[in-house]
Amino acid sequence: MELKKFRKKSPWILHYNTGSCNGCDIEILACLAPKYDLERFGILNRGNPKQSDILLVTGPVTKRAKERLLRLYFEMPEPKVVVAVGACACTGGVFRHMYNVENGVDSIIPVDVYVPGCAARPESIIDGVVKALEILEKKKKEIELPPYCKVPEGEKLNRRKLLERCLEVINAGRRS
Amino acid sequence: MNWEALVFTLFSPVIGGFIYGLERVVRARMQGRVGPPVLQPFYDFLKLMDKRSIVIHSFHAFMGIMYLVGTWFSLYVLLSGGDLLIAIFFHVLSLAFLVVGGFSVRSPYSILGAMRELLHMVAYEPLYVLTAAGLYLVTGTFQISEILNSNEVPLFVLPLVFVSILLSLPTLLKKSPFDIAEAHQEIIGGPEIEYSGKFYEAVYTAKWIEYVYVFFLIFLFGGGNHLLGAFLVLFAFFFFNLLDNVTARVNFRQMVAFHWYVLIPLVVINLMLLALWRG
Repeated sequence: MELKKFRKKSPWILHYNTGSCNGCDIEILACLAPKYDLERFGILNRGNPKQSDILLVTGPVTKRAKERLLRLYFEMPEPKVVVAVGACACTGGVFRHMYNVENGVDSIIPVDVYVPGCAARPESIIDGVVKALEILEKKKKEIELPPYCKVPEGEKLNRRKLLERCLEVINAGRRS
Repeated sequence: MNWEALVFTLFSPVIGGFIYGLERVVRARMQGRVGPPVLQPFYDFLKLMDKRSIVIHSFHAFMGIMYLVGTWFSLYVLLSGGDLLIAIFFHVLSLAFLVVGGFSVRSPYSILGAMRELLHMVAYEPLYVLTAAGLYLVTGTFQISEILNSNEVPLFVLPLVFVSILLSLPTLLKKSPFDIAEAHQEIIGGPEIEYSGKFYEAVYTAKWIEYVYVFFLIFLFGGGNHLLGAFLVLFAFFFFNLLDNVTARVNFRQMVAFHWYVLIPLVVINLMLLALWRG
């Protein structure tokens, strides 16, 4: 039996707010409430990185939130997908180039689906999640690394070592 | 060796999964939602099989599996017509595995959840042992095979005991209002928080088996009248779903106080009246 096709039948969500204004978070909760009812696709909001498949991130990633975001990303077992919800999470939105933000989620972790809107409407969030499920089905089980975090060829590192390596880079200062 | 019981026990996760799937649908309908398909727990099961599992340390993972084995074995004792007390004590043992596993990691949520799990056991275990005593008073035996073939119907003689068991169902299955051990909004699942992938699967399956275990205990109240037992199970299923939907979580003091000051006295009154009446 092919186990891969069951991935998109029961995706569990982890929702993380990286300093968003709560607009997008309210819309995510609206998706799970009776009107839109995401549970009919088997989607549950677990709130636990170790048991989740989809990471829904909102907000422009403040300096304080970036380390937590990276840790949460590394605590999720593969296969997993990341959905950036809202204008801030996609590009930084109105906060872009401010001194306290990191200009969007993809400057810290690899993002698979971008959902635009300020705030993103529930319909577009559902659309984004369904799109993410297609990607989830094709994902491999190797640990995916952010683009700024390079590991030399031939070096075998475990999850904790990789996290330390990436944390070193994001805490070092300005990245290109 | 009781082969029928063995086959039933082996298939009990399937039955429990169906019960859980049905519960999710019923709960969704009560909230005016459509809800997931009935087979959803099995989809979850197969998906978790495909996930990578992150092991904290091997002892923690082993305790998760022992929780499954312990629950499964206690169900086998029930289904094979064994001793009711042994089944109840094996269930305590399986929960002890979960608690020890919860204490063995450094996550504060896990430790807090394990402590609360112990409070759950403090709250409902005396109740279940007293229930076993009540069934003994009525049918004259702890053997489940004999309880199920007796001419007495325990429900008519032990109505207060049945009511207390019904009200403590949420405590055993960790449903609202007594879901403090795995409060999903505050401690995110309690002792099961650090399990992932295949090891979470073991914990998840153990919970399905607990459904079968609990509903079989309810079934015993029908005694020799199996139709009545089946009806009681159906009633208990809808009742605790309704209770789960309409109530909020209480704190642990209220939970333990409710069990020790309300439910246990109810059971004791019932047993004393029965003993006086019989004597």
